[in-house]
Amino acid sequence: MNKLITAALINILFASALFAESRIAPILNSIDEIYKIKTDARADVMLTQQKPEQGTKVIKMIYYRRDSDDSFLIVMSEPENEKGNGYLRVGDNFWMYRKNTRTFQHINRDENIGGSDARSDDFETRKLSELYGPALGPDGKEIFSQEMLGQVPVNRFEVKALVNDVDYPKKIYWARRDNNLILKEESYSLSGTLMQTAYFLKYSIIDGRYLAVKHLYIDEFEKGNKTVVDISNVSTAKLENSIFTKAYLENLSK
Amino acid sequence: MKLLITLSLRNLFRQKRRNILLGIAIALGVTILVLANSFSQGISDIMFNKIMRWVTGQVTVRFNEKGRMNREIFRDKERVMALIKNTPGVLEADEGAGMFCRAIGNGKSDNIIIVGVNTSLEITEETKKELEDSFRLIEGGWKDLENPAINNPVIVSEEKARFLNVKKGDVIRVRFRNMFGQDQAARLTVSGIMKNDNIFMQPVVFLELRNAKLIFGYKPYETASLTLKVKDAVKNSAAIADSIHAKLKPGVAVIHALTARGDKSSVADVLGYRSDEESKKKLSALLKIKSGSVEAALKKDGVVIFNTLAGALKVKAGDEIKIGFARKFEETPAEKYLKVSAVAADNPELKGNVILVNDEKFYDIYYENLPKPAPEAFIPDKDGSWAGLVSPEWILLERTANTEEAKKKYIALGKKKWKGTTIDVSTMYETASDIMKLEGVLKLITLSAVMVLFFIILLGVVNTLRMTIRERTREIGTIRAIGMQKNDVRHIFILETFFLTLFASIAGIAAAYISMWLLSQITFKMSDNPMGMLLVNGHLYFLPTFTGIAGNVALIILIAVVTAYFPSRRAANLSPAKALGHFE
Repeated sequence: MNKLITAALINILFASALFAESRIAPILNSIDEIYKIKTDARADVMLTQQKPEQGTKVIKMIYYRRDSDDSFLIVMSEPENEKGNGYLRVGDNFWMYRKNTRTFQHINRDENIGGSDARSDDFETRKLSELYGPALGPDGKEIFSQEMLGQVPVNRFEVKALVNDVDYPKKIYWARRDNNLILKEESYSLSGTLMQTAYFLKYSIIDGRYLAVKHLYIDEFEKGNKTVVDISNVSTAKLENSIFTKAYLENLSK
Repeated sequence: MKLLITLSLRNLFRQKRRNILLGIAIALGVTILVLANSFSQGISDIMFNKIMRWVTGQVTVRFNEKGRMNREIFRDKERVMALIKNTPGVLEADEGAGMFCRAIGNGKSDNIIIVGVNTSLEITEETKKELEDSFRLIEGGWKDLENPAINNPVIVSEEKARFLNVKKGDVIRVRFRNMFGQDQAARLTVSGIMKNDNIFMQPVVFLELRNAKLIFGYKPYETASLTLKVKDAVKNSAAIADSIHAKLKPGVAVIHALTARGDKSSVADVLGYRSDEESKKKLSALLKIKSGSVEAALKKDGVVIFNTLAGALKVKAGDEIKIGFARKFEETPAEKYLKVSAVAADNPELKGNVILVNDEKFYDIYYENLPKPAPEAFIPDKDGSWAGLVSPEWILLERTANTEEAKKKYIALGKKKWKGTTIDVSTMYETASDIMKLEGVLKLITLSAVMVLFFIILLGVVNTLRMTIRERTREIGTIRAIGMQKNDVRHIFILETFFLTLFASIAGIAAAYISMWLLSQITFKMSDNPMGMLLVNGHLYFLPTFTGIAGNVALIILIAVVTAYFPSRRAANLSPAKALGHFE
């Protein structure tokens, strides 16, 4: 019986060994390569959230990231009630700091940051090609086309999640044909509902890598909700190790 | 003794007016005590049997993959269910599945909680009645949730339906993040409307369990938690939880797989290794690395194979191997690629071909593709060096006795960064022991207030007895002169007080029952008020218990008797000659 199972497994293993050549996989790899900042980084991040029932809310934060172990520190500077609060991630540990109580609390990576819709895992640097793979259509072929986005020639392609812990199980990208920069992204829920459309409006080149410094996120589920993300004052200078400590966050918040 | 009882009863009725007034005072105290105790007992009953019972079950088995609070999932529901169902005292066992959602109705949006309800589960008449009492349907029926012609039929509370501006037949769109953190959207159709006085239960929207699991992203063989109803919950739930906990001891997680590289293949057993610092130190000592490094082997994605297998597959550190194995619930086998971090010298305690994988990576493969059980798979000797180092199927959390301990356990859980699924077995009396504390505090406050009242009443008892003794001094002298013993005289007065308190207590209990009936006839409209939680169907809820009332009455009688003892002793110690010569 065991031999039969073994034989069956060998057949399956080797029958599926060869993959058809993918058009999407190289683009995903290229995106990882051109986006990945391989240095420490510091940036000011501003989120402008518009919700019809709540009006406009501006959230500002300073983001520090250490390349060696992917640690990061976020310090809130606006709105007033969030000022001084922070989030520190070092290795597997992730803490939220509350200025009012001067306490650190262990939190999950799916925690919302500073009352915004952004989550801590949005600040992690995970490879797109490890999270998503090409989606196949009913004909078994990759869902890929070439079209124009406004005046820009783009590759339009669909990807599906390879892992569970991503926000959206399915995404469609519009990436420039000449350099694979993403210009538009549609995110779909597990049931296939369009949940969010993102536009990457402006890019800067930092140390030879592309960084989208202005993004627009449109909530397709609750119409009227949108968020603009502005990233400024980006620096890739080496950061002191003392920055990624609880003491630094406490001192900064004083 | 019979004579003493007759005499004391006769004496009691000799001073009717005085004793009736005193009796009314005692009865009033008893009424207040019984009323207040029944009310606090009622609050506990509402919290446990009308709220917690439905939210968590009397005994709950919770699963958190990777120890994450939001990631409530266990990949082999039937395995745990089979263990639980055979546990004596378990009356009903069902899956619990719920998710916080943002709901959009007709032009209005609000937060709701979708709760999966198993309408096909056979429930006792008692449970059915409890269900109907707690969630009173004013439109539609529970069976409508099973209607396949309706897209995700749901039952919504009257208040939530009003807020979302929806009625029966309307569609509610919902969005939520499921247990993996993925955004999900669904359309629900209102097929029923229920009434619930408890403001905390008003956001609950019931959806058939199968539909709920489908939109949440659970596979049929997966579950979020298990909730149990047990026989005589107050008495048995802790013992049943202990028994289930003992049955849930995990074995070693192993994947019996076919490994391959190029045209070479071999059968191997893939084991996870624990990645906490202490285990890593022990592993460093046990692994004799031949290719690659210990550091690489112990990294998050560390994979170690041993010399014999490495030779068979012609593999060295840095090479990629493919593993394939049959899955327990899926027809197609799983295929995964592992990059070898290190090759170690064969270890005599690890029989056959073993591959060690860091538990973070191992559990991702193991849980996503639960392997078919393979009796021939190698499991390290439980007394050997590897027993504590290989990953278990799950992590069974220690039982905790109360809310405080449970809180500490969950704080520790957040810090420990478990990579496997944690299983926690608890009873609602343990996780919500603060409610029992609240009941205790309410009872204590009532008792203290009533004791103050009784202190005043007992001053009356002492005063009455003193007056009675004074009035009856010559009578005491007479009965002592004709041969009655000192003890009997004392007993007559004590019995007199005992009977007075007993009759007054009986009257007080009767008055308390009448008051409870009258108070529970008043209808309160508090659907938007948290205090509505203390009501049942808009009425105040009292739960008098025999032990509670008997205990209160016994306490009051004891205090009265003790109070009466001293004046009675004084009466008994009177000299007959002196008493006979007493003149007012």
